[in-house]
Amino acid sequence: MTATATPKTKPLFGADEKKAILDPLWDNNPIALQVLGICSALAVTTKLDAALVMGAGVTAVTAASNVIISLIRNLIPSKIRIIVQLVVVSGAVIAVDQVLRAYMFDLSKQLSVFIGLIITNCIVMGRLEAYAMQNPPGRSLLDGIGNGLGYAWILAVVGAIREIFGSGKLLGMQVVPQGLYEAGYVNNGLMVLAPGAFILLGVIVWVQRAISGYVEK
Amino acid sequence: MNTNSNSYVMVFAVAVCVIISTMLAVLANSLRSTQDAAKEFDRQKNVMLAAGLIERGDLRPRAELEKLYQDRVTEQLVDTETGEVVDPAKVEAKGKRYRSVATTKSADGKLEAIVLPVSGKGLWSTLYAYLALEPDANTVRGITFYEHGETPGLGGEVENAAWTATWKGKTIFDADHKLVSITLKKGKVDPAIEREKKHMVDGLSGATLTCKGVTNFLLSDLQAFQTYLGRMAKQN
Repeated sequence: MTATATPKTKPLFGADEKKAILDPLWDNNPIALQVLGICSALAVTTKLDAALVMGAGVTAVTAASNVIISLIRNLIPSKIRIIVQLVVVSGAVIAVDQVLRAYMFDLSKQLSVFIGLIITNCIVMGRLEAYAMQNPPGRSLLDGIGNGLGYAWILAVVGAIREIFGSGKLLGMQVVPQGLYEAGYVNNGLMVLAPGAFILLGVIVWVQRAISGYVEK
Repeated sequence: MNTNSNSYVMVFAVAVCVIISTMLAVLANSLRSTQDAAKEFDRQKNVMLAAGLIERGDLRPRAELEKLYQDRVTEQLVDTETGEVVDPAKVEAKGKRYRSVATTKSADGKLEAIVLPVSGKGLWSTLYAYLALEPDANTVRGITFYEHGETPGLGGEVENAAWTATWKGKTIFDADHKLVSITLKKGKVDPAIEREKKHMVDGLSGATLTCKGVTNFLLSDLQAFQTYLGRMAKQN
């Protein structure tokens, strides 16, 4: 879930396109820099598999709605643009929910209400309003994928750390050896609760900002 | 074109809604059969989970679990008034009188568990669960709540494996063979009191109404199955 291979086949793949997909992964990360989408980042990250599916879901929704809004951006009356964006986002979210129900029933049960809540994820609406309304579909697609992945990799990191330390497993498989438990090691209960996610996310934001050299203005 | 005139705004809004809903309807319809199959498989998995045939988080592939279900689980229609197993083809309306019960057998063919479907209202939604009893038709073997719409973290904790594990070993009949069902106590069960130890489990904090609902529908569903359970207890 880290940096994807950049589509080199595109004939007009210039600096703008590169910026659209790479910026949100690190320099302008939606979670670490803009602090958007925190709610779901705390709620669905007790296990890595749920975090991955949620990340994929958000990526699909941002990419699809970015393209659709960008295609009709000159037709949307400015008076009702927010509600039109909302309709498109809801449609995309319901589509993701239906697909999950058909092909990943267990996970969709586990994620339950949080898939529906992608609608309220500020990243999605934020990208539509800030990017897709002004840019052509191709670049909007890249921007949507970039932001989705920027969100997804942080979720995956938080999810992996919480699952390893909170339940000693990774993707449902035991990774902490039994011998360690016999020697007195215990799973950290804080990690499976919301406060553990809060602390972890804070640390990740701190580390990310320290490396990227971001200063609050 | 003036995109801000009232008529344009109206037409545009209606067009967007119609197009998006049509697309969703097509998608939902084309996925329906796959979704139903996934739901049915989830139900079968929960029957096996309640009966202790599989563990939560079983990583075996779907085909293998479906085969396990076919080999070890029998679903039958029971007439709750007579307690007899009936042929589904001869029953016209299923209704409340005829209910489907699953029994599981061990690898050597012996009856291992009786799995009763129980369901009823909690706080927000109808909860669906499977209660598995030992062949004595009295001791609880396991329970799984497989479908509900209760608040995640509060009433939704009926799914919590650590909590459902505390149901194991409780009994639904008292020493005089009177049906007492299992009660979700507000607070913690006092193991010093014999009655609580045998017939009660800890309530879920923050979910008083869900717990009340579960207690109620468990009792009424078990009452419905009483004749059948009595017959099973005599047989085994």
